[in-house]
Amino acid sequence: MIATNVRRLGLYLMLAFAVVSGSIVWWQVVEANSLAARTDNPEVLAARRSLLRGTIFDASGQVLASSEVVDGLSRRTYTDAAFTHVLGYSSLRFGTTGLERAFEDILVGQTDPNPIRDLISDILDRQPQPRDLTLTIDRRLQDFAAAQLGGDAGAVVAIDPQTGAILAMVSAPTFDATPISGDPDGAQGAMDALRNDPAEPLLARARQGLYVPGSIMKVFTAAAALDAGVITPDTTFEGQPREERDGFVVNGFAIREHDLGGIEPALWPLSPALQVSSNIFFAHVGLEIGSEGFLDYARRFGFCSPLRIGPPDRGLSVGMSYVTGAVDGDCGPFGDDVELASAAFGQGRTAVTPVQMAMVAAAIAGDGVAPNPYVVKDVRAHADGALSDEVLDTFGSGGGTRVIGSAAAAATRDAMVDAVNGELGRLYAGQGDITLYGIGDAQSAGKTGTAQLGGEQAPHSWFIGFAPAQDGATPRIAIAVLVERGGSGSAGAAPIGGRVMAEWLRLSSGS
Amino acid sequence: MRIAWRGAEFRLLLPILLLVPFGFAVTNIALSGAFGAGDLTLALGYVGIFVVAHLVLVASGHRGDQLMMPAVGAMGGLGIIMLNRLPQDLAGTSAVGLELGMAATQLLWFGVGMIAMVAIAIGLRDDGILRHYKYSWAAIGIGLLAATLVFGYEVNGARLWIDLGPVSIQPGELLKIVLVIFIAGYLAETRTLLTSASVRIGFIRIPPLPYFLPMLALFGVVMLIVVRLNDLGTALLFFGIFLTMLFVATGRRSYVLIGLVLFVAGFYVAYGLFGHVQTRVDVWLDPFADPLGAGFQPVRALYALGRGGVFGEGLGQGLITLGGNLTIPFVHTDFIFTAIAEELGLLGAFALLGFAMVLVFRGLRIAALARDDFGALLAVGLTASLGLQTLIIIGGNTKLIPLTGITLPFVSYGGSSVVASFIMVGLLLAISHRSGTADAVSDA
Repeated sequence: MIATNVRRLGLYLMLAFAVVSGSIVWWQVVEANSLAARTDNPEVLAARRSLLRGTIFDASGQVLASSEVVDGLSRRTYTDAAFTHVLGYSSLRFGTTGLERAFEDILVGQTDPNPIRDLISDILDRQPQPRDLTLTIDRRLQDFAAAQLGGDAGAVVAIDPQTGAILAMVSAPTFDATPISGDPDGAQGAMDALRNDPAEPLLARARQGLYVPGSIMKVFTAAAALDAGVITPDTTFEGQPREERDGFVVNGFAIREHDLGGIEPALWPLSPALQVSSNIFFAHVGLEIGSEGFLDYARRFGFCSPLRIGPPDRGLSVGMSYVTGAVDGDCGPFGDDVELASAAFGQGRTAVTPVQMAMVAAAIAGDGVAPNPYVVKDVRAHADGALSDEVLDTFGSGGGTRVIGSAAAAATRDAMVDAVNGELGRLYAGQGDITLYGIGDAQSAGKTGTAQLGGEQAPHSWFIGFAPAQDGATPRIAIAVLVERGGSGSAGAAPIGGRVMAEWLRLSSGS
Repeated sequence: MRIAWRGAEFRLLLPILLLVPFGFAVTNIALSGAFGAGDLTLALGYVGIFVVAHLVLVASGHRGDQLMMPAVGAMGGLGIIMLNRLPQDLAGTSAVGLELGMAATQLLWFGVGMIAMVAIAIGLRDDGILRHYKYSWAAIGIGLLAATLVFGYEVNGARLWIDLGPVSIQPGELLKIVLVIFIAGYLAETRTLLTSASVRIGFIRIPPLPYFLPMLALFGVVMLIVVRLNDLGTALLFFGIFLTMLFVATGRRSYVLIGLVLFVAGFYVAYGLFGHVQTRVDVWLDPFADPLGAGFQPVRALYALGRGGVFGEGLGQGLITLGGNLTIPFVHTDFIFTAIAEELGLLGAFALLGFAMVLVFRGLRIAALARDDFGALLAVGLTASLGLQTLIIIGGNTKLIPLTGITLPFVSYGGSSVVASFIMVGLLLAISHRSGTADAVSDA
């Protein structure tokens, strides 16, 4: 009897040993690569200290970041401060951020992008080979956009609407990351200065800054309403002309129009309403969509959840944009119709990132399909500071998500073209017209925004747009520009938007 | 004195004992970079201990199991190779005029343990002393616990150690053996009653309380004291050994089920009452939530496992240091399995596991072939102790279960653990010898 029980016990123990064996295999084989990619992994930390790190190039092969090993410690040098918030920094003392962090194990060479080759390297115990990255951003455009912002705080985000490649992503103010990534002796002082700077240079405004959008939100509202079928390009609202003067009462609260600068209110359909940026018109539109519909479209466009730029597992994180207050990491429901109406023209509790608004522009430009944004073009073999021909991995599948139908996108596009080029539009967004900047044969589309902050503060200046936008043209650049407290949209952001779009059209066709 | 040639044991010991000096040589080459064998004294000492023990068993005509000592040799061999590879100043002895590094100290205890093992294997002719004085053994056990409670000092929050001048011992290790002897004796006498006189409720059988209570009471007292000492790993181990022996004695799965239910209930109570239990469980569930604080040990262990991969980083070539310190904490005790898995890879880990399985299944075989119930139950208890200990600590290293502070037998650094494990193997050999001579069948 005991012998039988012993045999049974043997089976149970065999099972226990099998389960334990499985757990060992889990960590040593199955999860090994994801463990190796974690940045607090001591192997990664030790490697960052002493291994050579791959070079990062811009789209045309210019060096943006390079490393050398001095006295056994790896030092990073950055050549262009305009790229700081995209690349991040790689500092022995302060860790890594941005792309330096997301691609750490590939830059240092601990992971091979190709899983088969990675396994072979593991078996043959090869030494880590640093790998280089190429960005989608052309240095000339990035530098140009940064120069346009000048000394102002703000952001410029430009995307190719067809492919999702990031063409420019500037956050200002910026800083040179070399002092904190190079010689460890001077690093602490440099970092302290950055942290104590009241201008907050460490904040990556393009991705993480949250701002009231103001009138640029009307593009979203128009697109959503057209797609939902609650308005057409010819829809008008009966009481609107009177309400422009007297205010539009919603739930006992009077929504007032901004200063029309002498323009006489009239019964406006979509295009003129967008050209003069009528709050009253869009308040009506928002109420027509309804709170459920508004939130639904917001989520489709990417609001209410964090975004990622780049490959899903190695992306740059983008903060979540809101249309209402946040509840449990999502947009909460609208409190009342006043809040809904206000959100429809970009006030209320809306708060957006420049990247999100560039994505809205890209979706309209892309015929209703929002592209998947990415900023790293490929991974190459390391060639000591020169651009190698050996490409190991490429990114950018070119896929996208359809957020609205083609018809709605086309109608919104027409209204946006009018907003820049139309008789009324010229007064507000005319500075976004690319013909002013030397592009004779194409039109741009756009919308300005002047985001009121309340009190005595100057409003945020916004512009979103894309070009070329005339009938039959395929847009090649979609852009969002923010100038923090830059005054009206037309004064601050619109000219920057127009110039950057023109510059890209010039760079991408000529050279 | 009749000589018994233990052929199988010899043939298995040979390659295993050649591997140990080889492992030492590889380590020396990797660490020093020079192509020389380095200091092999300790390796040869290790080999010598096993050779002498084997010869003594042969000379005394021992007919017990021949696979156990090779398995011990293999596990211990991996252990001492790794302990030699690690920085020798992690632990050691400096007493009685001796200055010994970590590996040397471990070898010393291997020597002591082996003497004990051989002495018991040969000398235990009559197990009456174990069987008939079970309550005395129980008393000794309680005495050991009480002594630890009163005289013991804390290490890492657990009071396990008693300082005896030149050495410190862990009475808990000896307690295991004493408890197994007691429970084996008790179960051997009462097992028929426990099995047949059970009360049935639905499909669950409850053991008859009058016969069950004394053992349960003793067990309860032991558990309380162990929990009071904060040695939760040992508490888990004792519980496991007890349930295993109960199952083998009665064959009733219901009893094990009830035991598990009581265990889970007790666990919830402990979770609610003790902050450190809560921390252990939270860290087990998600160590990455606090990778630099509470989750530090498990996170570092997992990283090491990942680095090892299938083939390992190579003896002497893994185990990176950050700022001069090894990244794996307690690498010579709690996490020595992780160190072996990192440098020798999945293959090395499986080898270690394989040797442990040999030990366990030979022990079960000894139990199945034992002459009487007491011998069988004693063998089961000792085997369960060695096997469950191995599973619990390896499972803790791989985040399968929460981490506990118990040792990996024959591999972890620690004199008390080594000696106690050798005593257990010695007892198993003695039981095996008695069945062997009774049947007059040579063991192969």
